[in-house]
Amino acid sequence: MARYVVYRVGMAIPLFLGAALLIFAAGHLAPGDPVQTVLGDHYTPAAGAMLRHQLGLDRPVAVQFLQYLGGLARLDFGTSYVNPGLRVGDLVGHALPISLRLAALAVVVATLVGTLLGVGAATTQRSALDSLIQVGMVLGLSVPSFVTAAVLVYMFALRWPVLPVAGWGLPQDYVLPVAVLAIPPVAFIARIARSSVGEVLLEDYVRTARSKGIRARRILFRHVLRNAALPVVTTIGLAFGNAIVGAFVVEVLFNIPGIARVAINAILQRDYTVLQATVLVYTALFSIVNLIVDVSYAYLNPRIRY
Amino acid sequence: MHTSIRASDTESAQRTVARPALLRLVRHDPLAAIAAAFLLVLVLVALVGPLVTRYTYDREDLDALFQGPQPAHWLGTDQFGRDQFTRIIYGARVSLSVGVSAVIGESLVGVTWGTVAGFYGGAVDHALMRVVDLLIGFPTILLAILVTGIFGPSLVNIVIALVLTAWPATARTIRSEVVSVREREYVEGARAIGASVPRILVRYVVPNVIHLLIVRATLDVSFLVLAEATLSFIGIGVQPPRPSWGQMIYTGFQYLNSHPSLVVIPATALSLTVISFNLVGEALSALLDPRYRRGRA
Repeated sequence: MARYVVYRVGMAIPLFLGAALLIFAAGHLAPGDPVQTVLGDHYTPAAGAMLRHQLGLDRPVAVQFLQYLGGLARLDFGTSYVNPGLRVGDLVGHALPISLRLAALAVVVATLVGTLLGVGAATTQRSALDSLIQVGMVLGLSVPSFVTAAVLVYMFALRWPVLPVAGWGLPQDYVLPVAVLAIPPVAFIARIARSSVGEVLLEDYVRTARSKGIRARRILFRHVLRNAALPVVTTIGLAFGNAIVGAFVVEVLFNIPGIARVAINAILQRDYTVLQATVLVYTALFSIVNLIVDVSYAYLNPRIRY
Repeated sequence: MHTSIRASDTESAQRTVARPALLRLVRHDPLAAIAAAFLLVLVLVALVGPLVTRYTYDREDLDALFQGPQPAHWLGTDQFGRDQFTRIIYGARVSLSVGVSAVIGESLVGVTWGTVAGFYGGAVDHALMRVVDLLIGFPTILLAILVTGIFGPSLVNIVIALVLTAWPATARTIRSEVVSVREREYVEGARAIGASVPRILVRYVVPNVIHLLIVRATLDVSFLVLAEATLSFIGIGVQPPRPSWGQMIYTGFQYLNSHPSLVVIPATALSLTVISFNLVGEALSALLDPRYRRGRA
């Protein structure tokens, strides 16, 4: 197990370094001179040369890259091009926890609701409840999140104003964003849980348990769910990735000051250092999520250890 | 031509299969047939766009804000008095052209990459497929952010971003099929008569794996149309005043309470399009599946 973890972490490091190199190179290939962007109307050749020296942009590219990596190691992302007084690290530090909290809540909700629906559908196969849940799964997977958001906002914030339309700070502000983020993962977790539980229900040991006269609920919890859990666990990682990406729509829509909004603003303002930092943060997040999924999978299923 | 007999054989075989197949689609999968008809109409309307409407997409009429559906404006007008029907048509143009050009781009890259990797195998395969492994898990939206962040938001950059995210999955599908096609007798035969590698690939390998692409491409268009709408929704896609469905939904949100139709109309257009491509793609995959064909024909 320890060997597998070391191997898997070893795989993640070059990937992250590669991403850092790509993002760094992209910055140098980007059209436009950052120094001119920062100085704007105040640009003179002399002022430009001075700022270029201050920012270290007059050094060899390889040196710049090493300095950049050194900064990353100390979690120092530099300062914003557009607002030179603003440290990128602070910006990310404020915004990231908000997005992570939202994503984590969405994953918890999606896992609970999705498993419940999937187990419900599997244990009542071909009933009305099962088909209802199945239709819901197809809808949840195929309707784009901003359309479900429109429906939810219209119903619960405008028609029956029980929840705020948008805003951030109060506990009730979480409800609609978390619901929008959780719906697609609820659908696919339910789908996986249904097929996984359905398969285990046909196993010999379940039949044996039944023939011994064990109560249905005990069979479900002791024999079925334990063995059906593995495919569901892997989808939780997927759900987290989904929630991180879904945040782009949700944060724009509900006016939430998270990392996705920081990234979008950076694009629109062409704030390159901020953009770099957000893309790196996202790459790191996805690497970590994939790492956790793979390691937990290996832990739960000894057959796939390398 | 030593292949002429074979070619005419397969042609006639295809013809006898193709006609009942179309009828079968209508009979066995009426929903997919309706979806296909809808897409056909959508494509036609998008092509002839300016001919079916008297307005331009950015013509504002401040005397006719937030109008409901009426003879002069079939779907009403928006917050600037612009004709919604016209904007939906131009939005369809954006969605379809982004979806189709991205699918062509990613298919070209994906098929080439997958064919080369699968055909040569060994170290080449290993190296090419590691790149695919690396990119395949990367979320579309992040690559789009990287591309638009560096080169600015525009239609072309969106297509580039979408091609970058979509091709690895196609490459993987094609490669897995090429690996088995490579071992077939006709490829061996082509080698034996001294055909060059590019000729073997183009003439024998690619035509035998391309059926996988047809289904993939149809399903991919639905994904790509949705991705474009999402990017335009969050503001880094198609830039105003050029209309796109995602951007129309975003601006409509401000008027959701008073004029929900500003969200409902583009959202319906988008959902119908996405669902139609999915339905047609799934019907195609059933129709083109050789097992299905053999069982029925």
